Amino acid sequence: MIADLEEIKGVTLETIYETSEGKLILTCIQCGTCVGTCPHGEYMKYPPRRIIEMLLHGLADKVSDTDSMLKCVNCYACMAKCPRGIHLTEVLLQLIKEQTILKLPTLPAELQKALENSYRYGNPMGESGRKRANWVATSKYPVRILSQNPGPVDVLWFVESYPAYYPRGQDTCRAIAKIFNRLEIDFAILGNEERSAGECGLLAWETGLAEALIDYNISILGKYTFNKIVTSDPHALDAFNYRYRMYGFKKPVYHIIPFLMPYYDKLKSMLTRPLNYSVTYHDSCCLGRHNGFFDEPRALLNAIPGIKLVEMFHHRINSICCGGGGGGMWLDTYFKSQNMERLSDIRIREAIATGADILAVGCPYEIPRFEDALKVAGYENKMVVKDIVELLSESMED
Amino acid sequence: MTNQGNNKDIRIGFYICHCGTNIASTVDVQKVVEFASKLPKVVVSRDYKYMCSDPGQELIQKDIKELGLNRIVVAACSPFLHEKTFRNASSQAGLNQFYFQMVNTREQNSWVHLDPYASTEKAIDLVRAAIYRVVYHKPLEQKRVPIHPDVLVVGGGIAGIHAALTLANAGKKVYLVEREPSIGGHMAMFDKTFPTLDCAACILTPKMTAVKNHPNITLWTYSEVIGVDGYVGNFKVKVRRKPRYINEDLCIGCLDCIEACVYKEGRFYDEFNLGLSKRKPVYIPFPQAVPLLVVIDPETCIQFKSGKCKQTCVEVCEPNAIDFTQKERIEEIEVGTIIIATGFQTFDPKKIPYYGYGTYPNVYTALEVERLINASGPTQGQIVLRDGTRPKSIAIIHCVGSRDKNTNQWCSRVCCLYSIKLAHLLKERTEAEIYNFYIDIRTPGKMMDEFFIRMKEEGIKFIRGRVADIYPDTSNGCCGKLVVKAEDTLVGEIIKVPVDMVVLSIGLEPRADAQEIRRMFNITCSTEGFYIERHPKLAPVNTFTDGIFLAGCCQGPKDIPDTVAQAGAAAAEALTLIDTGYIEIEPNTAFVLEDDCSGCKSCIPLCPYTAISFLEDKKKAFINEVLCKGCGTCVAACPSGSIVQNLFEDEEIFSEIVGVLNYTYHEEEV
Repeated sequence: MIADLEEIKGVTLETIYETSEGKLILTCIQCGTCVGTCPHGEYMKYPPRRIIEMLLHGLADKVSDTDSMLKCVNCYACMAKCPRGIHLTEVLLQLIKEQTILKLPTLPAELQKALENSYRYGNPMGESGRKRANWVATSKYPVRILSQNPGPVDVLWFVESYPAYYPRGQDTCRAIAKIFNRLEIDFAILGNEERSAGECGLLAWETGLAEALIDYNISILGKYTFNKIVTSDPHALDAFNYRYRMYGFKKPVYHIIPFLMPYYDKLKSMLTRPLNYSVTYHDSCCLGRHNGFFDEPRALLNAIPGIKLVEMFHHRINSICCGGGGGGMWLDTYFKSQNMERLSDIRIREAIATGADILAVGCPYEIPRFEDALKVAGYENKMVVKDIVELLSESMED
Repeated sequence: MTNQGNNKDIRIGFYICHCGTNIASTVDVQKVVEFASKLPKVVVSRDYKYMCSDPGQELIQKDIKELGLNRIVVAACSPFLHEKTFRNASSQAGLNQFYFQMVNTREQNSWVHLDPYASTEKAIDLVRAAIYRVVYHKPLEQKRVPIHPDVLVVGGGIAGIHAALTLANAGKKVYLVEREPSIGGHMAMFDKTFPTLDCAACILTPKMTAVKNHPNITLWTYSEVIGVDGYVGNFKVKVRRKPRYINEDLCIGCLDCIEACVYKEGRFYDEFNLGLSKRKPVYIPFPQAVPLLVVIDPETCIQFKSGKCKQTCVEVCEPNAIDFTQKERIEEIEVGTIIIATGFQTFDPKKIPYYGYGTYPNVYTALEVERLINASGPTQGQIVLRDGTRPKSIAIIHCVGSRDKNTNQWCSRVCCLYSIKLAHLLKERTEAEIYNFYIDIRTPGKMMDEFFIRMKEEGIKFIRGRVADIYPDTSNGCCGKLVVKAEDTLVGEIIKVPVDMVVLSIGLEPRADAQEIRRMFNITCSTEGFYIERHPKLAPVNTFTDGIFLAGCCQGPKDIPDTVAQAGAAAAEALTLIDTGYIEIEPNTAFVLEDDCSGCKSCIPLCPYTAISFLEDKKKAFINEVLCKGCGTCVAACPSGSIVQNLFEDEEIFSEIVGVLNYTYHEEEV
């Protein structure tokens, strides 16, 4: 699934054929699976299949003259189904995106602001860096902050921006603090020293910004002694595992859901409060398709007494993106101006059709996106969006 | 024979082949010739463009006669290809053929290396080893082993059936072993065959009946080969005959027992109809089954499960053929040659979850649709969905589990044409709108592309695009349809086609137990699991194991005409061996140096072929040359070093090692 990081570091459209990824691109059979599965394929002048053929014919410039790649939401669907195993989302599409952004006279305003904010404040919403750890005061369970208490720690919990600032994200933070404490995990956070990991998809838009955030976070992480990083944001997981590695970062990084699996028995014994809900789970693109964690979230949900898990039509490898990846989080207005239907709106209809009470998620982008989509669908009182960690915490009696 | 004296007057001739540019473009043959000419006892050292050609062989023969050579070393291709050629050339010039030694400097050198310098050095090392070794060669005589005239054919699909009939018609006795209760294989499940659209059963069943009635064919169905010993000409094979719980000699195939079974309706998964219908615990796989013998399935039969059945089947059976006490039997047979025709299995489309097989009831595999179309199938040939309705629109998806790195990488070779055939048959029966979703249409072969064009004329739609997603249509007012989503790559649009039925054209893959079968017969298979032919072009039905041949899809996906052609070829290869009557084998047997043998007997239990006995009078071990297979176990085990193996004597091996490890020349050069 993952292209060779060493090989693709610094690769350009001109040098791509020197890599094994370039050799894969040469084997494309133009079957169109990538286009058929692309959630925005019908809105792209040059969808992935055509991009490959244009590249092979030396016409990649014509692709980056259009906004086709602005519409890629980094959902990995094309890459997951490609019968030739071409790492489209990881390599080629990123390179075209980079060229597209360089040529655009102006960036869509929302995205421009998110990039500026990330550079200036270390988070895309433009919140003050000094408020990043404010949520800790609201946690019933203690959370150690390394800048105040810098001793060695086992798990460094990388909180990330949406969980740290966004009120519903802070709910997941409090849930994680509770779970970590109850499982007696030795953990700590960076607190106000943390800055956005530089979400993997966003990085490709702006290499300079990405490198600034990567350099910063690597230097801060270098100050402390810890064994592993755990994060609840699959985008941060990808940033660390696929981009930070290119800059020499070596520590193991886990998403909270697979991280909890070795504690399954202990955790299950603590899940004593039955939650009598029907739940449907949305596979996040980064956690599911990109990293292959399909069974783990379902196993944790099934560990909660009373929960009845139902599946949407599109699930696991065939899940439909919420539309938030690859910068999509900050392109809703732009997509709307192009008469594109929001992916979160499409996805929520499938969730509603299951008749579930709860839409369970494992990515912090999804809570605001789906809560909004529920409002659009007029369904906000009938279905609730919850992170899996919130449900675990809820089932865990104090 | 001349000039074959002792080591003192050894006269070696060395020859290296250019093999056109195959060797000479990588290995500096002049350098090797010059090097070899300086080695001790080498009288002549030459290179030639094609050593295997007549002039090349004559060169050797001329030198043997004129220069009095008594040892020959040729560096060329694999001994597998030309060792025999050069041995013959030597022997025609009066030299014992075992005074010849071959160096493989093509397959193991020039073809696998890029650096000419290193490749030349490697050639030199290998040549030195052979020249050092050949000095100690001894004159030997080849052994002849008789070929047992009986043949085993494994697998009773169209490949096995055709091979068995060909051999039997030539007067050879054939054992045809089939795992299922009936012969016929996959072909028996098909409705019609492309491109002629003749009915599969109409052309297959006469051959099945011919097998049953042929005096030269012993047909064992519901049986499996469980052990193979021996070697070409003399295989000993064990066959497990599973109990049908029916006395085969008594059963007359009246099928009254099926009618009388306490289950009034079929209740259990019907293997032949892929679960689209149900069968009883006592059943025949399909009406034209050969042999027409019923089978009792102990997994579902009440008598086996509880012992408390009314046994209505027994009551009704006039010949008294039902026997609940029947046990499996092991038959042991001796054959000289074996034809493997174990076929294929179809790809399990559940491995591509986004095609919805097993989730959406209206998604079928192509093989299921063959059964639906067939008059003897679960719906008597009516094309109806599981809810009993007739589909008005059908999508056929090509290449499912083929040409895909995530599943099987190879082209299944038949799915284009069988999809086109199914499209025709489905349109004929239902007048539905048919959409074929394809990546490429591949129609090689006689009348195949003409067939494709004819189907286009019939109005079947072809959409170039691999299907990316299948999901239920939930648009307003809709109703059980499935949406097939793909890019129509020729138009450049994403299309969503609502259909009533989806047919997955699943690919062909090796059987799940291909590896175990391969090990049992000691043949080779590629990484994907298809058995490897000895040469892809020139020995397409031979294996690397003498006397074992391949036919049909166990060697790779192919259609019925190619399968039958291959089965005929495999039968011809077996006939060649049988009618020759014997095979010459390497004289690589071991023998005991009686003076040195202490009579400790440690070699005797180690011999896998029970070739060693103890001479009580002499108190020495004795190796039966006929039974010895040259495995070398006793040679290595003998504590007194008194067992020697022809072609692998200590001084031959040690001098070869000295030769290959002698870097003196290399150092001088650098």
